[in-house]
Amino acid sequence: MSYTIQKKIVIFTFLLIPISLLLLFLIYPTIRLFQFSLTDWNGMSKSFNYVGFDNFVQAFQTPEVWKALSNNLLYFIVHVIFIPLEIMIAVYLNQKLRASNFFRTIVFMPYIINGVAVAYIFTYLYNPLNGPLNELLSVVGLESLTQKWLSDTDVVNYSLIAVSLWRFSGFHVILFLAGLQSIPNDLYEAATVDGAGALHKFRHISVPGIILVIDLVLFLNIRGALQVFDIPFLMTQGGPGTASTTFTVYTLETAFKFNNYGLASALAIILMVIIIAMSIVQKQLIKVKGD
Amino acid sequence: MTLRVRFNFSRILLYLLFLVITAIVLFPVAINVFTAFKTPMEVMTSSPLSLPDEWQLSNIVTAFDKGNMSVGFKNTIILVVISVVVNTVLGSMTAYVLHRFDFKLRSAIFALFFAAMVVPFYTTEVSRFQIIKSLDLYDTLGAPLLIYAGTDLLQIFIFLQFIQKISTQLDESAMIDGASYFKIYFRIIFPLLLPASATLAIIKAVDIMNDMYIPYLYMPSKDLHTLSTALMTFVSSRGSDWGQLAAAILIVMLPTIIIYLSMQKVIMSGIAEGAVKG
Repeated sequence: MSYTIQKKIVIFTFLLIPISLLLLFLIYPTIRLFQFSLTDWNGMSKSFNYVGFDNFVQAFQTPEVWKALSNNLLYFIVHVIFIPLEIMIAVYLNQKLRASNFFRTIVFMPYIINGVAVAYIFTYLYNPLNGPLNELLSVVGLESLTQKWLSDTDVVNYSLIAVSLWRFSGFHVILFLAGLQSIPNDLYEAATVDGAGALHKFRHISVPGIILVIDLVLFLNIRGALQVFDIPFLMTQGGPGTASTTFTVYTLETAFKFNNYGLASALAIILMVIIIAMSIVQKQLIKVKGD
Repeated sequence: MTLRVRFNFSRILLYLLFLVITAIVLFPVAINVFTAFKTPMEVMTSSPLSLPDEWQLSNIVTAFDKGNMSVGFKNTIILVVISVVVNTVLGSMTAYVLHRFDFKLRSAIFALFFAAMVVPFYTTEVSRFQIIKSLDLYDTLGAPLLIYAGTDLLQIFIFLQFIQKISTQLDESAMIDGASYFKIYFRIIFPLLLPASATLAIIKAVDIMNDMYIPYLYMPSKDLHTLSTALMTFVSSRGSDWGQLAAAILIVMLPTIIIYLSMQKVIMSGIAEGAVKG
């Protein structure tokens, strides 16, 4: 068989399954999402009516949607505030510490633990009656700081965000560390010869060296914060009331609990647009900074 | 002299910082371990911060039994093994074709994978659910298997980097010997990609073991529970018997922790690779 014909056969057979899976489970559902978003479909009946942009109008008029979005925004802001701290810890881990391998193992561990397990561990930790966290605060004399961590509407989101930080910060630290280690050592040596101080080296060598990782972590934060699901879903079901609901929790409830697929699809598309828009803004910001 | 003192002082601060971080990471896990080995009476009366009087295994046994954990282990292992193997083969085949051949749709295929990455995973479930149902895959192992098996852009990028390092001269000399493209892939490319595959496979395996969302949505039956969904069901049925719940949590989180501790280097280098070069 000639190699030209072979080439065609290889390309076709090797790509057939991966591309089919991609089209069937990711691309096609997305297209269907656009279609559903313009209907009043309940997810079960055979027929549905096209209702134009009614679902989108309704979405923006629903207070829960705004509440959920503001909660997502809070996740995003707190995670972004933690980025400098994560970079700092990565810089310290990059130094020759006696136990740095041990600390590296520890820092990354929460990311590898089952998310359901993490959610329930913290549910117990936050228990208001005889819970470990309140107990710990009393033991060290900070009784005034004890809270109803998951049932006080002013506190609940921060309690949940803390779980998210516990789970993902270490992962970010390891990413930053990888970025730092990819910077050639002679850059630092040359700077030392030129008499540059530690801060100077950090600003002009380390930060530019890890700008791509910063970009990646920001992208992960946007996607992660806008799609937070398992932590609120498992720990509070979005409650008390709608105090800790997030966009994805609300969307999936709308679809699977209230059988309003039209509205849920519209919500999904709104989320997609927000994620894409924020990613574009971020790319521009990084570009400006990088130049 | 003063310099030396300052140097040591900052070192001590650094160690202190990492000890605090270690405490923050280990505190929740340690409390859970303590609680898992306490009697119900002890959980009620002792301080939640205290060690168990006697490390007794009854909670672990009950949780394993009543928590449907053997089914959870079985299904999780089936899902992990099959999807990781299929996923690795598909991912490396895709990367092979995209790297070694130039063809019309090549950039379109890259664009497709990129588009798939931008789609918010959780919310497309609203319509993916319907597709799974119409394919008669609802409440079968087939649903998560097909979803996990698919390859993604990040994976392809990592494979591409490794394929780049495999000289095309190897392909060419095999072609002089009359080897077909299929033979070149299976005999040369795939074996040389195995180290890269191992890293990706472990990361993928941990992801699948820790996923709750896909099994929760698509496999509600009790005999199709995975470790994650078995734990969810156990927790919602047990109320607040924290000793048993902690034991179930411990059973579910142990496998990935063991994998992590034994293959830490591979996992971290894989993630670093993806972050820096992907």
